[in-house]
Amino acid sequence: MKRLIARRPWIVTLLAIAFVLAAWATATWTGAVSDLLLPTPDELWSGAADLVVNGYKGYSLGAHIGLSLMRVAVGFGIGTILGTILGLTMGMSPTVDALAAPFIEFLRPLPQLAYLVLLIVWFGIGETPKIVLLFLAALPVSAVAARDGVRQVSPQRLQAAQSLGASRFQIFLHIVLPSALGDIFIGARLSIGIVYATLIAAEMIAGSSGIGWLILDAGRFLRSDYVIAGILVIAAMGIGLDRGLLLAQRRIVHWAGK
Amino acid sequence: MTNTRLPGRRQVLAGAAGLGLAAALTRRTARAATPTINIGYFVETKPTMIAKSQGWFEDAAKAHINWVEVGSGAQINAGVVAGSLDLGIGIGSSPSAAGISQRIPYKVVAMLDNIGPAEEMTVRASDNIKSPADFKGKKIATPFGSTSHFRLIGFLKTNNLSLSEVTVLDLPPEQIVAAWKRGDIDAAYVWSPAKAELLADGGVVYKTYDVLDAKGYVIADLIVARNAFATANRAAVAGILSAYGRALDLYQTNPEQAAAIVGPAAGVSVAVALANLKEYDFVPLKTQLTSQWLGTPGHPGAFAAELQHTAQFLVGQKSIRRSLGLAAYQKGIDTSYLEQALA
Repeated sequence: MKRLIARRPWIVTLLAIAFVLAAWATATWTGAVSDLLLPTPDELWSGAADLVVNGYKGYSLGAHIGLSLMRVAVGFGIGTILGTILGLTMGMSPTVDALAAPFIEFLRPLPQLAYLVLLIVWFGIGETPKIVLLFLAALPVSAVAARDGVRQVSPQRLQAAQSLGASRFQIFLHIVLPSALGDIFIGARLSIGIVYATLIAAEMIAGSSGIGWLILDAGRFLRSDYVIAGILVIAAMGIGLDRGLLLAQRRIVHWAGK
Repeated sequence: MTNTRLPGRRQVLAGAAGLGLAAALTRRTARAATPTINIGYFVETKPTMIAKSQGWFEDAAKAHINWVEVGSGAQINAGVVAGSLDLGIGIGSSPSAAGISQRIPYKVVAMLDNIGPAEEMTVRASDNIKSPADFKGKKIATPFGSTSHFRLIGFLKTNNLSLSEVTVLDLPPEQIVAAWKRGDIDAAYVWSPAKAELLADGGVVYKTYDVLDAKGYVIADLIVARNAFATANRAAVAGILSAYGRALDLYQTNPEQAAAIVGPAAGVSVAVALANLKEYDFVPLKTQLTSQWLGTPGHPGAFAAELQHTAQFLVGQKSIRRSLGLAAYQKGIDTSYLEQALA
């Protein structure tokens, strides 16, 4: 048995999943757990099928997913790109670091829900406040990651390049950037996690679309079938986004960790 | 020598277990003397705030009350399902109808008010909205899942306005005010104090409630009690209802004095409290027992049919899976506590 597990660890994984599914089916089908708390497997199936076929409150399931992905992509994209540029500059220039650090350090630990109402007052109720919220979630994380990446470049390499007569720009392009890229990607993966976690808060703003809003709205009426179907979709999307970034990381910074 | 030995590990453990047991027992007996009731409530301008702030609920129920502020009826439903709320005061008829349809283990034990004009459409005066057709292309905000949402969808439906012609946005009351001040929305279906703020800031009432009430879109605020709690604590539930009746009497005999208590308790000025109170049709406890409303045990009133209609509507909205037969909604109302409170 032990040898079997050692050779095929996925058997344990499969058994664990099968056990959870069996416990769920028994608990709900026997009526031990009310369907308000957990749907039965067939209710979940028909709820999920209904979402796929008929959509939810005005939008198809694909449109809900697409809108959420668009918000995440734009918020994360702009936040990470600007955050990385800011972080690189902060790493290169102590003046910029001194200038921007207090704001970044203020923003980074701030819970996003704290300024939700302000965003509505400032940016209204369209897509802008939602994207700004995600942008503000992504920006400080990537800035700090990029800055720390620059700071970890070994001084010997910088001095070697300088003594060989490399310009400031050449040093940045050929030494600093490749060295910091690993940290930048780690920051990006951290930040997509935070952005994704902020998505539900973003879709609380005057929502009527998006997978996060779908889960919130279904939860209001204890529609556990829609809620769990929505959670499965949002989890799959999250895994997909993270794996996508991991793939890009392995392609672009294939030397990291070697 | 042996007299002074330190207690061994076993003795310490046994002693600790004994102390723990004793503590648990004393706590249990203390609880039996003054039980704790967990009540979910809204901060709102209603006579319930008189009974709450004056401690009448505690006195009449002979219990300690743990007040849990909620923001929506959905939270009361979830709290009762989880067993962490024993009573919900001020829950709207639409979450209650949803709850009964989903067989949440609670019963409607009384009502507070027939909402009537207290929840109503407010439109921007400058938009010049005079007829249902004028709403085309406009943005209307309402808190989803609320009684206002139910009325708004009813308004759109009865006037053949589709959701592609009108944008309906899901915003909680305080965010409706923010969006209104920015000019992002043209209209809102909501209650006060948010409604009062819109009216003070360029809004006018667009009357919908009279027609909608006649077409079966009656909305009301209710009191619900968790079954297991209510059957085990009949006297406490009846006591809570009689304390509310006392507060309602005070409001109906002396509205100014009532508003002077309600205002500070709800965090608004006395004048605003008085104006808000006057918008609700608070149904006297005796009237609730008539066939027009809740009826009496064995003789259910007409309100059960309103709950059923609301539930059928919610099924159409995909908010709940199924509605039930009329009997289920009649059984979802238990007026015996109300009778006891009035006896």
